[in-house]
Amino acid sequence: MIIGENIHKSFGDLEVLKGVDLHVRPQEVVVLVGVSGSGKSTLLRCFNFLEMINEGKITIDGHTVNPKKDNLTKIRAEVGMVFQHFNLFPHKTVLENVIEAPITVKKMKKEEAKKLGAELLKKVGLEDKADVYPSKLSGGQKQRVAIARSLAMQPKVMLFDEPTSALDPELVGEVLQVMKQLAEEGMTMVVVTHEMKFAKEVADRIIMIDEGRIIESADPKNFFENPQNERTKQFIQLVE
Amino acid sequence: MPEIFTTVYDVFMRTYPGFLEATVVTLQLTAIGVILGTVIGLVFALMKISGSKILRAIANIYITIIRGTPLIVQIMFLYFGIVELYTMSNFWAGAIALGVHNGAYIAEIFRGSIQGIDPGQREASMSLGMDRRQTMSRIVFPQALRRSIPPLGNQFIITLKDSSLVYIIGVAEIFSLGNREAAQSYQPFESFLVVALYYLVLVMIFTFLLRLYENKLDVDRA
Repeated sequence: MIIGENIHKSFGDLEVLKGVDLHVRPQEVVVLVGVSGSGKSTLLRCFNFLEMINEGKITIDGHTVNPKKDNLTKIRAEVGMVFQHFNLFPHKTVLENVIEAPITVKKMKKEEAKKLGAELLKKVGLEDKADVYPSKLSGGQKQRVAIARSLAMQPKVMLFDEPTSALDPELVGEVLQVMKQLAEEGMTMVVVTHEMKFAKEVADRIIMIDEGRIIESADPKNFFENPQNERTKQFIQLVE
Repeated sequence: MPEIFTTVYDVFMRTYPGFLEATVVTLQLTAIGVILGTVIGLVFALMKISGSKILRAIANIYITIIRGTPLIVQIMFLYFGIVELYTMSNFWAGAIALGVHNGAYIAEIFRGSIQGIDPGQREASMSLGMDRRQTMSRIVFPQALRRSIPPLGNQFIITLKDSSLVYIIGVAEIFSLGNREAAQSYQPFESFLVVALYYLVLVMIFTFLLRLYENKLDVDRA
């Protein structure tokens, strides 16, 4: 579904990604872990072309993207993204947040979009919040709206950039629950998170990124019980 | 002390029919100045944040010249400049001068508000597949406009008072009428006190309306 080959990304003199190869298969849930500054969020942002890679190539659903020639807008529409800080549109109601992109990008009819929006809000358990503004929601509710908003574009893959890091501990569960449900429905997902319980339960594969390189890639059982790399061992000790 | 109140009252009562007409002219000048300034300001703000070096340079030159020269000079310059090319009433010359002047300040208001919007908003919009234009018109600008309202209201008040400067090209607005009244009646103190009162009351009314509107915005989205 997403194939990243030899991805290099620098910010000025700082090389954040130093040749990353990652192949995410359809319906696979990949969890990216690593200490902060390791480059995991940057990798995610490269997959959505919010950051442009300096070297290497990215193939999405069989199409190798050429950032200079391709319509990136169209590619981004197929790759959903959920941000740490939700980034809901504060001037729009919950429902308007969800139906904004289907209407403006897909030219969906308003009635049809509203129906879709209502379904998605039901899916994330917020059908009763359709007409309120985001400022009235808790962090967990905001993030669930953000997930619904992203799903409204019917993306082929969903990227989650630390979706629960900005939440109060008691609100983390409701967001992870929605993500788990998505995974069970077969959504292809790449998740950057520090929630190791979620990684153990939901991930097909856990990937450890360290200093811009993939140093470990294994299913959850092997990742936690039999890590190969010394840095991974240290990391697991740190989080457990 | 009571005597001054009587004379001011007399001047006020004698002159108010004329001043009411002049108030309409002042309000028209202000409205045109702000509306035209908003249109110009929006265009130049977008130029200033655009990717084009040429557009940015043009916007910078315009803003630098307007902010770097006195309004009264701009009024004279535009009035004599326009009249050379095109026959136009002094009212319109003055209104356009106010608009061109405001445009530079309003451009900076819009630019600041647009750049003040959290980059996460732009990213979220782009990640949903919206292009640059859709992101600007549907996500960034509506939020920026809301933030611009308090400084725009302030600019409106400045324009209301600045419109007095077009008396120099003979537009019959509040100040020019007061000026004439002062000369004819030999009561300059009373006349200008009345002039000041007109401006003060107008500004107070407008400030009140602006506050109502801002409160309404807060209530809507709080």
